[in-house]
Amino acid sequence: MSLLRLAWRNVLRQRRRTTLLSLVVIYVTVAVLFLFGFLDGYGESLVEAYAEYVEAPVVVAREVWWQDPDPENGFRELPAVAHPLVQAATPRLSLYALLRSPYRMQGGVVLGVDPQGEKVLSRVPFRVGEGRWLQGPGEVVLGHRLAERLDVRVGERLVVETGKEALGLLVVGLVRAGVGNVDFGGVYLHLEDAQRLSGREIVATHLALKVPRGKEEGVAKALNQALPEGLRARGVWELMGPIRADYEASRLFYVPLLSLFMLLAAIAVVSTTYVSVRERLREFAVAESLGLSPFRLAAQVALEAALASGLGLLLGLLLGYALLWYTSTHDVFGPLMRLSVELLPESGLSEHLYTALRPVYALYAAMVVGLSALLALLFPGRLVLALEPTRYLKGE
Amino acid sequence: MKRFGILLLALAAFALGQSPLEKLKSALDRLRGPAHQAVYALTVERPGSSRTYRLRVYTDGERAHLRVLEPKAEAGMAFLSLGQDLYLYDPRLGRTLRLPPSGRSERFLGSDLTYQDLMGRDLEELFQVTEEGGTLRLMPKPGAPTPYGRVEVYLKEGFIERVLYYDQRGQAVRELRLGSYQRLDGAYLPRTLELKDLTRQGYRTLVEVTEVQVGPVPERCFSPLYLERGC
Repeated sequence: MSLLRLAWRNVLRQRRRTTLLSLVVIYVTVAVLFLFGFLDGYGESLVEAYAEYVEAPVVVAREVWWQDPDPENGFRELPAVAHPLVQAATPRLSLYALLRSPYRMQGGVVLGVDPQGEKVLSRVPFRVGEGRWLQGPGEVVLGHRLAERLDVRVGERLVVETGKEALGLLVVGLVRAGVGNVDFGGVYLHLEDAQRLSGREIVATHLALKVPRGKEEGVAKALNQALPEGLRARGVWELMGPIRADYEASRLFYVPLLSLFMLLAAIAVVSTTYVSVRERLREFAVAESLGLSPFRLAAQVALEAALASGLGLLLGLLLGYALLWYTSTHDVFGPLMRLSVELLPESGLSEHLYTALRPVYALYAAMVVGLSALLALLFPGRLVLALEPTRYLKGE
Repeated sequence: MKRFGILLLALAAFALGQSPLEKLKSALDRLRGPAHQAVYALTVERPGSSRTYRLRVYTDGERAHLRVLEPKAEAGMAFLSLGQDLYLYDPRLGRTLRLPPSGRSERFLGSDLTYQDLMGRDLEELFQVTEEGGTLRLMPKPGAPTPYGRVEVYLKEGFIERVLYYDQRGQAVRELRLGSYQRLDGAYLPRTLELKDLTRQGYRTLVEVTEVQVGPVPERCFSPLYLERGC
């Protein structure tokens, strides 16, 4: 306890040095908190976009369809899916098609859905900004940016053509979901129309399942053990495609980057401590001659470094969490995300991004304190351990 | 002379008794012409540029085989339309590809014409026909896969003179004009076609029909196997 008091007194004694050290640690703490919060928020935003808008929490399809998403690999009859956590299920039929207006022609993926079933599972039906959601066959609902590109409006006819069939469908609604895939590429039509367009005896290509948030992978895994051979369930995380790889790569990239940040901060703390120790060698020699063991002195040096960086950590945590709280409740990154959605319309990015706020980030940030103490023990601490008190007391 | 007069009256009565749909069918028959071989000169005009293709065409009025003769870069490309089936041979690929029915609405050789304009009979299949003041007014059938809101076919003595395509907001977006028709062995074929994209200034395609030989076209011309070697 006296060692701690001694170290604390030394930290307070050299206020300017302590302030500088703390600033470095504050900066690193805020950076660590913010980067983890941003990254987790980005991941949550992606999962939400894919689970609620683009795909579904869990999707069941034939193994061959996963390998080749051609309607001919779809279901001739719908499979029975049973799991206590499955809250709802709806069939979907996706197929590639050509969309034609009098002005433009564009390829895309159209999704045949059961209008009522979709309301239970997806948020898309509730994001119709103009017109209304599907009610029956002969209708189509489009993402509003796609409608702009094709230059079609509510009440007009859009031609949907596949290799087998073509239909003129009435545009009844435009979706404003704020999710790139939906706004730029969403084409929703009645399941019966999709079945007709597929030109085959296919009732659906896949079954979308609603399960509680966070249970997607577990349910998919459990289903895979119970489903008949040839069928496979995939959780939302698996459905995210290349954007998932991008997210995971970002995480992998951030870990060494943040480690480097922390190491540099710890080095800054230790180098200042080193200078401080060198200036105070005589003081340490006196303390040693008074009976304090070199090991306790080295520990005091490490404690000083830990206290100085700990002070920075506390302030950094306060600032960092305040920043995270603000960015997790306000859509600060909205404009940036809107630009990203424009740039990568098919990546499933959402126009809104809120950072995550988790207590565990404090633990990650606290590593800088431990690292500083360890390095202080290794370098300035060794200086104290190698101290010859008689030489310093003689004034040599 | 008296017999000729009776015949003329009978023809007039037949013409008067024709329904709008029959009038359209008969006008389209004249547009597609009899079975013939010909060279079509296709000029694609764009703002500041123009490109001309020469095509050898074989058709029996229902099916068509088109082969690019010029320019050199595209020479050898061939197209075959068999009802809903469309085949394309590209010498650079060395393969014959079957295009889906949706391919029929694609632009032919980057021009303003679609495969459908050249070979199809969409107008009678997808639209309900009425007649207003000598003009055929075509409205899409429910669920018909056409992006147009209305099509107007202007006839002159049973021949199509002009076809105007309207979008669904009542604005004309495409215009097809047919030049003088040539009489060929009891049938007719237009000498020139002009297609304008009314939404874009300076986008125009001209087709001139020359070197026409009326007569049966060998059946092999309508086989995908002969797309590569020619018929």
